[in-house]
Amino acid sequence: MEEKNITSQESMAIISEMIERSKHHRYLGDGNILLLWGYLTVAVAGLVWLLLAVTHHPAMNWFWFLIWIIGGIATPIMVRKRRDKSGVTTYTDNISNALWSIVGYSAIALTFLCLGFLLAGGKDSWSAMLMLPLIIVGIAEIMQGVVIRERCLVWGGAIGLLCGLFTLCCIAGGVVLAARWFMPMFIIAFAAMMIVPGHVLNSKSRREK
Amino acid sequence: MKELDPLLHSQLRLAVMSILMNVEEADFVYLKEKTQSTAGNLSVQIDKLSTAGYIIAEKGFVGKKTRTACRVTDKGRRAFEQYVEDLKALLNL
Repeated sequence: MEEKNITSQESMAIISEMIERSKHHRYLGDGNILLLWGYLTVAVAGLVWLLLAVTHHPAMNWFWFLIWIIGGIATPIMVRKRRDKSGVTTYTDNISNALWSIVGYSAIALTFLCLGFLLAGGKDSWSAMLMLPLIIVGIAEIMQGVVIRERCLVWGGAIGLLCGLFTLCCIAGGVVLAARWFMPMFIIAFAAMMIVPGHVLNSKSRREK
Repeated sequence: MKELDPLLHSQLRLAVMSILMNVEEADFVYLKEKTQSTAGNLSVQIDKLSTAGYIIAEKGFVGKKTRTACRVTDKGRRAFEQYVEDLKALLNL
């Protein structure tokens, strides 16, 4: 393309062509952040389950924080890398970033609230930390799926959300979240919410290349 | 008949503005690839749009490489919308 004068018809053609060329396309590795959080959560849940089964010590639950520490460090790096690689930030990217920031900040706020309950009132409210990721991640994922028109995200998010609502009912009804049934459910929910959609997105972007 | 904005009524500048109206932010490499222009020419046109206040071009670093990120300003958005309206009137659309 050069710097030259154009007719009105050519102007219209340029505008249409550029809009078409800059339409959002999938980028290789779009599902990597989902895969990171999915595999990380499943691995840590498996580890905590194993340690609880072997030691029967509730202190093993502190290992849950590995998810936030590792994920919290790796995610901004991966987001920046993706942006630098694609060279463009779209409105959809901004909506997605805002959505997942809300999820992150909610988790941080809830962590402090649970710590406050424990330290100030001696009340154990950590079960809320098991319910929140399922509900809020599920909702965020459904919304992202609707925005970028990816059905795998909507279905994955719906499975997670259902598991989260079930957990909420258990907590409200005083049902103990026993590791023998809760942990497999938690792992399956995260696999459905993050691992499966992550692989689907990566496979779609590979096919588009 | 109203005259079309001369700053936008040029092939490459219009292409750059059309892309930036469609995305939130785009870097120099992306714009060069999508407009299929030369680096020198694109750089000159970005400077012109930036001087007119139609876009903001921010220079930064990605590792050791420089990165110029461009985004359209409110003034640029209004000018582009007006340009499209004028164009429609000219073409009787």
